[in-house]
Amino acid sequence: MAEDYVRISSGWQPRAPAYYWRTVQILIVEDEAKVAQALKEGLEREGYEVTLASTGEEGYYLLGARTFDLVVLDLMLPGRTGLEILGTLRARDRAIPVLILTARDAVEDRVAGLDTGADDYLVKPFAFSELAARIRALLRRGRTEQVSRLRVSDLELDVPARRVRRGDRDVELTTREFDLLEYLLQNRGRVVSREMLARDVWKETDRATPIDNVIDVHIARLRRKIDDAFDSKLIHTVRGVGFIVREGSA
Amino acid sequence: MHLRPRHVRTRLTLWYLGVLSGVLALYIGSTLAFLSLSQRRELDRRLHAEFETVEDLLVAAPDGVIRMGGHGDEESGRLVEVWSADGGLLYGSEALHGETLGGPAPSRVPMKESLDSVMLADKTPLRVLSRAHQVAGRDLVVRVALSEERQRHEWRELMLGLLFGLPLAIAIAGLGGHWLAQRVLRPLDRMAKHAERLTAENLGERLPVENRDDELGHLARVFNLSLARIEGSFAQLRRFTADASHELRTPLTAIRTVGEVALQDPQNPDRYREAIGSMLEEVDRLSRLVGSLLVLSRADAVPALRRQDLCLIDLVKNAASLLEVLADEKGQRIEVHGDPGVTAEVDALILRQALINLIDNAIKYSPPDGLIRIDVERDETSAAAIAVSDQGPGIPQADRSRVFERFYRIDEARSREDGGAGLGLSIALWAVQAHGGRIDVQSQEGAGSTFRIVLPETSGRPAG
Repeated sequence: MAEDYVRISSGWQPRAPAYYWRTVQILIVEDEAKVAQALKEGLEREGYEVTLASTGEEGYYLLGARTFDLVVLDLMLPGRTGLEILGTLRARDRAIPVLILTARDAVEDRVAGLDTGADDYLVKPFAFSELAARIRALLRRGRTEQVSRLRVSDLELDVPARRVRRGDRDVELTTREFDLLEYLLQNRGRVVSREMLARDVWKETDRATPIDNVIDVHIARLRRKIDDAFDSKLIHTVRGVGFIVREGSA
Repeated sequence: MHLRPRHVRTRLTLWYLGVLSGVLALYIGSTLAFLSLSQRRELDRRLHAEFETVEDLLVAAPDGVIRMGGHGDEESGRLVEVWSADGGLLYGSEALHGETLGGPAPSRVPMKESLDSVMLADKTPLRVLSRAHQVAGRDLVVRVALSEERQRHEWRELMLGLLFGLPLAIAIAGLGGHWLAQRVLRPLDRMAKHAERLTAENLGERLPVENRDDELGHLARVFNLSLARIEGSFAQLRRFTADASHELRTPLTAIRTVGEVALQDPQNPDRYREAIGSMLEEVDRLSRLVGSLLVLSRADAVPALRRQDLCLIDLVKNAASLLEVLADEKGQRIEVHGDPGVTAEVDALILRQALINLIDNAIKYSPPDGLIRIDVERDETSAAAIAVSDQGPGIPQADRSRVFERFYRIDEARSREDGGAGLGLSIALWAVQAHGGRIDVQSQEGAGSTFRIVLPETSGRPAG
């Protein structure tokens, strides 16, 4: 398999994330039907089993009646608000990972959510690829992954030594370029949005900055070093969404 | 329960009346006291004179009977008693009709004189002077009294006159005071009525200033100044809303058109992919725009800064290094000069945002191979200053004050191409103002611009 990579602690992980013996169950509590349906489809394509709840009451009932591995919770819901559900859920001392969605980008909102026991948050509008990445991260939580070697096709990253080889050639990268490539390879085969890069590689919290241009320039440079001399391109742009590293065309 | 009149003029009048009544009462009281004191003094003086007359008139008959010479007592109105040392009444005026003058028992009267007030059975108030006297070698006590009736009567009349006059005076003063207060406050009433009529639609109206120099004129002027400011903010808000809708509409139109047109081309996955990608790009633009607007809307509430003492040049270098690739792509250089000793208490995240926006602008507007120079210095006023200079086309004089306005672009077409919405400088200005600082612009057309952030030295500690 061309896209395999080596994980020291957890070993090979299939693309569809399974909890050892069954498919991961995700509950989405979201009142906006369009958004909920799109999230459901997207996450099902990622291999999860998704249940939808369109009101706070329904979500609350489902959480009591069934077992889920992760909850995606909209904070602004008719009926019970997201925070109330979260509060009761946490009072029952459930260690379920909860990711909250909020349309209000106010710091207090996030703080309130995280204080009430949310594990992560996303501000609407978010990129689906980012939501998927956060969900993967939450499900992985607790299992440390130390990846020492990342590989796609004939591109290989030696992470501790910070060395990059494509084919039989060494590639010189700046620190930022290496971090960027490492992140792209960690998410190889998945689309990575500019938001994710800004946040996880550049550690910039604010997208009002001209960070997008900076990201684009770095991607262009990375391409020059990684792809230009080769026929098979690895770094692809997904228009309007972000970037993806994989063998073959996007 | 605390009663508090609703109108200032009523309160003013009441206060005024209270003070006036107090003063009048004090005045009446002291007048009456003074009158009674001087009446008493006058009477006592007369009493002494009468006593001396009586002393001269008293004679002892050979039979030992004390008798009064002269015309008698009735005419002068005096009353006389003569007592023996052992307490026997030797002589009494006929006007007493057998009554005695009362008062202390004569035997206990000391040898020196004493003055007493007594009252006869018919309620006639008397003033009595008693003194020892010798007639023909006999020790006697002589008592002379004068009626105080007339003085009492005068005093009472005056008192009644004053007391009846008091409410009248107070009533007149109250009416006058109320009228005056009303007159003084009338301009205030007019101002209030005027202000009541103000709405968002006629904010251009101003209050009439009747007298520029008095307190009410001052109030009107201050009020008008606030009105002018509010009018300005309203105008800005209106412009902002109009601009924001325009900015939001543009990507929305693109999304709609691209989507509709793609749908007309059935069964073409590549075409669909292209269209959706293009729509997502517009969505991205919208999200970024909304993000910037949120930053600015939060800016309207005073942000809580997390200040730290920071070396400014480090912060500048950090911001510059983030954007260095952009300059690099255009063959530009970014130079940072300055004293590493210049520090300020700032919120690194917020001030960095301002720096990033200024440097990004400088890169955008400088020509290829240009130089962007950033100077960090402590200026004469010991404030910290960060100047970002570009080699761009400069900003026309007319635009200089407006470049910080939200959505303002000098060159529409050009900046839109760069993906900017014209909010970068507004955000920079907000970030600096949040630190109590300001941004100056110096520019020469054709020779570049310098944006200078000036931070007050005490930016870390609010004054006071």
